[in-house]
Amino acid sequence: MGIFLQQLVNGLELGSLYALIALGYTLIYGILELLNFAHGDVFMVGAFLAAGVAAVLVHNEVAAVPAGLAVALMMVAAMGGAGFLGVGIERVAYRPLRNANRLAPLITAIGVSLFLESAVQVWVSPAPVLVASHALVPQTLLHVGSIATPFTGLMLFVVAVALMVALDAFVFRTRFGSAMRATAQDREAATFMGIDVDRVILVTFFLASALAGMGGVLFGLHYGIVDFFMGYLLGIKAFTAAVIGGIGNIRGAMVGGLLLGVLESLIGGFISTQFQDVFVFLGLILVLLVRPQGLFGQPLTDRA
Amino acid sequence: MSGGAAVLEIRGLTRRFGGLTAVDNFDVDVREGEIVSLVGPNGAGKTTVFNLISGVLRPTAGSVLLLGRELVRLPAHRITHQGVARTFQNIRVFPQLTVRENILLGTHHWTRSGMLGSVTFWPGTVRAERAAQAEVHTAIDLFRERLEARLEDPAFSLSYANRRRTEIARALAARPKLLLLDEPAAGMNPYERIEMAGLIRSMRDRGLTILLIEHHMPLVMEISDRVVVMDHGVKIAEGLPKEVHSNPRVVEAYLGRRAATA
Amino acid sequence: MSAQPARSEVTESSSSLRQFWHSGPAGWNRALTRARVLVPFFLAALAVPLVLQYVEDNSSWIGAQYWTLILATCAMYACLAVALNLVVGYAGLLNLGFIAFFGIGSYAYALVASDQIHQHYPLWAAVLVVSIVTLAFALLVGVPALRLRGDYLAIVTLAFGLIMRDVVLELDRPPVLAGHQVGPDGLNITGGTNGIHQVQPFNLPTSLPLLGPVPHYRMYYWIFVGFLALCIYFMLRWRSTRTGRAWVAIRDDELAARAMGVNTFKYRLLAFATSAVMAGIVGMINAAQIFNAFPSPNFDVQTTVMVFIMVILGGLGSLPGAILGAIAFTVPPFLLQQFVFYKYLVISIVLIAVMVFRPEGLLGTVSIRPRKTMGGTLELLTAESAVEASELPAVTDTEVADVEAAAGAIVEDPEWKL
Repeated sequence: MGIFLQQLVNGLELGSLYALIALGYTLIYGILELLNFAHGDVFMVGAFLAAGVAAVLVHNEVAAVPAGLAVALMMVAAMGGAGFLGVGIERVAYRPLRNANRLAPLITAIGVSLFLESAVQVWVSPAPVLVASHALVPQTLLHVGSIATPFTGLMLFVVAVALMVALDAFVFRTRFGSAMRATAQDREAATFMGIDVDRVILVTFFLASALAGMGGVLFGLHYGIVDFFMGYLLGIKAFTAAVIGGIGNIRGAMVGGLLLGVLESLIGGFISTQFQDVFVFLGLILVLLVRPQGLFGQPLTDRA
Repeated sequence: MSGGAAVLEIRGLTRRFGGLTAVDNFDVDVREGEIVSLVGPNGAGKTTVFNLISGVLRPTAGSVLLLGRELVRLPAHRITHQGVARTFQNIRVFPQLTVRENILLGTHHWTRSGMLGSVTFWPGTVRAERAAQAEVHTAIDLFRERLEARLEDPAFSLSYANRRRTEIARALAARPKLLLLDEPAAGMNPYERIEMAGLIRSMRDRGLTILLIEHHMPLVMEISDRVVVMDHGVKIAEGLPKEVHSNPRVVEAYLGRRAATA
Repeated sequence: MSAQPARSEVTESSSSLRQFWHSGPAGWNRALTRARVLVPFFLAALAVPLVLQYVEDNSSWIGAQYWTLILATCAMYACLAVALNLVVGYAGLLNLGFIAFFGIGSYAYALVASDQIHQHYPLWAAVLVVSIVTLAFALLVGVPALRLRGDYLAIVTLAFGLIMRDVVLELDRPPVLAGHQVGPDGLNITGGTNGIHQVQPFNLPTSLPLLGPVPHYRMYYWIFVGFLALCIYFMLRWRSTRTGRAWVAIRDDELAARAMGVNTFKYRLLAFATSAVMAGIVGMINAAQIFNAFPSPNFDVQTTVMVFIMVILGGLGSLPGAILGAIAFTVPPFLLQQFVFYKYLVISIVLIAVMVFRPEGLLGTVSIRPRKTMGGTLELLTAESAVEASELPAVTDTEVADVEAAAGAIVEDPEWKL
């Protein structure tokens, strides 16, 4: 029982990271019906931006500014940088193909993903980069009974959930949020209603990417290390989470992320760590074949 | 020229999309050698009926019998094999294929030519391909002057009218028992419409049974043996062209209540 | 051939070169895939290593082997590009796990031609085994996945590729599931990160009449070129018969294809499986050539991306394009060895640029450009929207036009008296 609860806790932390990134996939898919393969790599760039800020501010294991401020700066850099990167990608690579055959932007997205990975590999560092998290956040281990979690893990969970709640409020309770939902349902009708669709898409990309950027900061602080390839695998798993929850459905992405994190932890703990990922991908395939709309999505239209 | 065995028998055909009933309890018979026109205001459900017959959509309820065979459970490609060929409202030729290849596509369902046979020049396959090519020749018989010169041109380079002709030739190449024409005269000038009317009659004279959707009333009146009128998914009138023409319910459907009582 | 009206070039007896230029990608492809172009091309390709050897023997230049190896790699990628072109360009399926079939072929051969599981099959049996194994995997993935829409199919194939990669990397020891070991202690099927070594090459003569002794590298260059020629022959035969027409029809307009009696699922599966088996056999030849089956690049998604960029640059749907694309992305990296670090960076930039500026690539015949379509609300009027929007061309314009036309015909036509 103790192991189960421990894995549950680990899973919720991992899951909240997945959820943050999954939200990005689902936001973009909802509005453009595009599977943004490059999203995981935007997360990676966010992590590197945070790592960069940390490297600047931390000398010889000591932060030059109060730790809280340093972390805040890292977050701003990561969220802002990732956000603008996402917007830039949309402008350059996706917008020209907005009305093309559905497969065209997918192929381009693959190209963007490879570009981000190679660019970081070549121009930043081919080797993993350390994040001086011990100088920035408490390294304490928190205990509840027999269950333990590092402070950073709890921080990850709390910040992620807070952001998700904020996003939910934004999308479902503000005017701009309803513009986003309208555009996601029917882009053409939204233009008839006077909605500036281009701006909605822009903001959506910014938000999605900023969330991924925040994921990058939290990841860097929790695991202490970033590398150019980290976005790839994590991105696919976060995408799996979005599909499980129902791609295009925001609350689905949150639930899907947490669920996937827990499932992955439990599988790793009780079945096999070797084939952990294989089970996750098998799960993805199963969901797509048996219930492609995921948990909360609408059933896909009837094909005769 | 009507009468004879029933080629198409539709009973209780219904199709619902969530709350919207696009086709409601629709019945119609089409006899061998008849030309029956399906008319009605836009959104009446006419194209939906075609989609239901040809298997593009599955009915919520009802039955479609082609020469006694039930079509409703069958996938679209098997329905074609049973003997139904159609054209589309907004012409769907294959743009990257030549006119010849488009028409050859019509022969797909009755040609025995597969991957292995093609690469080994298997005699059966060679014969099948030759038969298909010969069918192209037959299929463009009715529009030889127009299409023959353009046989090797890709379909995207064709004029609107030629695309329409290609689409029809393609449907003919499928050797159908029932031909569904969805607005064959749409977008045509008066001369082309006259030609189309003659074309439809010629096809009937060669043994085809034709069900067509058309908005151009004079054309409908001229060539139809019978007219069926739909509105809001329901059949509101059926009969000889003249009868239907003066039916007050029909006028009301098109122009509103005031026009009907005026 | 194609009658382009109102062009003086057609009536003048102008240079055939200009006519060629004006015929566009479809015409270029037709011209380049005629026998009188292909046969000399392949004969020349086969002669190249002999020419290189001759030059090397009669000058101070040494590079015959090096260049033959480069060209063999080029030919190998050309085969892969042709296979990918079949599944993406003809059938329109985004198979992101494509390279897994190459890997499966290489490992399947390695397992029956090495000491890994102590099997040594003769060539004909090995070909059979590789084909069947690859086909089995293709059906396993294809039958359930091909019912899905394009982007979902892409994800499923991607997941399949990742699963295969993980499985191959982990099967160098008996798997442990839920605490229980599955399989005997010394179980090592795939060699893990090291792959399978000491793979036997094909049992072929080492010298040919008239040509004398044939070194290993030259033999495999010829095998790749020969297989490329075979694949192109198959593709051309299929294209000019019922199968290829069905593929293009499905790609152009799936709904209309179904309406004309084409079993779209079956043809998609045929394309998917054929492409997979082609890739598998290429993998087999590769394993025999380098005496090894490695997990990387054989199962790397970046390799799939590279073959993709070859096909996209060359042009979807174009066989000469696939060959050009293969040359473009194998020869320069060899020539510019010092820049190999930048390889994927350059590749990705080229891919994005091609997709944004010229998605048809150099010789492509498939149009994936932006259309004027909109889809959405107005489609509800026709109730055809129940079929996916992406399958329909612009319905909206017609609908609006028809309402106007219908109104006009009823009100203005003198025949329709009220």
